[in-house]
Amino acid sequence: MNVKFLNPFIEAAFEVLKAEAGITAERGNLGLEQNEYKTDDITVILALVGTVEGTVYFGMSNDTAMLLVSKMIGENITSFNSLAQSGIAELGNVITGRASVKLSVAGYEATISPPTLLLGKDATISTLDFARIVVPVLFDGTGINIHLALREGKIHGQTTAQMAIPSKPDIKK
Amino acid sequence: MNVKFLNPFVDAAAEVLMAEAKINISKGTLTLQKSAMTTDEVTVLINLVGQVQGVVLFGLSEQLGMKLVSKMMDQEFSAFDNLAQSGVAELGNVISGRATVMLSDAGYQSTISPPTMITGKGVQISTLDFPRIVVPLTCEFGIMVIHLALRESQAGEWNDNFVPLIKQATTSK
Repeated sequence: MNVKFLNPFIEAAFEVLKAEAGITAERGNLGLEQNEYKTDDITVILALVGTVEGTVYFGMSNDTAMLLVSKMIGENITSFNSLAQSGIAELGNVITGRASVKLSVAGYEATISPPTLLLGKDATISTLDFARIVVPVLFDGTGINIHLALREGKIHGQTTAQMAIPSKPDIKK
Repeated sequence: MNVKFLNPFVDAAAEVLMAEAKINISKGTLTLQKSAMTTDEVTVLINLVGQVQGVVLFGLSEQLGMKLVSKMMDQEFSAFDNLAQSGVAELGNVISGRATVMLSDAGYQSTISPPTMITGKGVQISTLDFPRIVVPLTCEFGIMVIHLALRESQAGEWNDNFVPLIKQATTSK
């Protein structure tokens, strides 16, 4: 995987956690994983399609998810109910959305899919031939793992939305 | 969810299974589910982005997965190994790809993400506020279940960065 896709996600995660939950996070040691991913309690899955394509997972434990949602909505959440689920999925959505804006500034246009939530420990997620970069984002003695399985999309996969707009239309006299 | 997104997937699945594995399928009774999906042994997850957006899940047993791959590659599989996983994921990819072509003929442009493979029974997959249409497809080796959680993108959501190409340049005299 291309490492230049990494920083937008780290920056986006820091900014969003700060803005939404008032959390100052720091980055742990990066890892590169080729094998399958054994899920944690909660996984948010989002896909990117465009000139960058692939999948992003946010993996975390139940406790971390409830801590995050509690901080986000300023209310103590004690069970991982549908409000909390929706909050965590939204967090993944906002971080990925923010990252895709940063990617687009770097010249890679991508559209993100709606989030999907996976609940249950020890399932296996495989991105098949994509290697994944794993970024631990640490805060308050706990943390979330961001898994990035991204690659440059094929050019013929471009949609009209991603075509460059000519700056000056050709006007014949 | 809009039911008109359903037929392209059923047709595509029938065509692709016939072409790739020479398997005849028949469609079972449709159901609409709001709650989280509890996974079967193997789940292929593919996201759609565009004028139709959401997620498509193909759920099947390992047994059926191996049978399908055996038929596809004309080689007996006795373990659900990497090659078999890749084969099943590819099957999901081809069916969704074919379905997007049909959707595009119906006037809905969309792009699909690379497939993600989830193995592990009893994990819950939640599509949050998207209700899912569940289509069981029966063949001689077992049942494959397609879950469709799709919706039409709201105006603006997809069109934000969509600039129509100029059809006719304005000519100044």
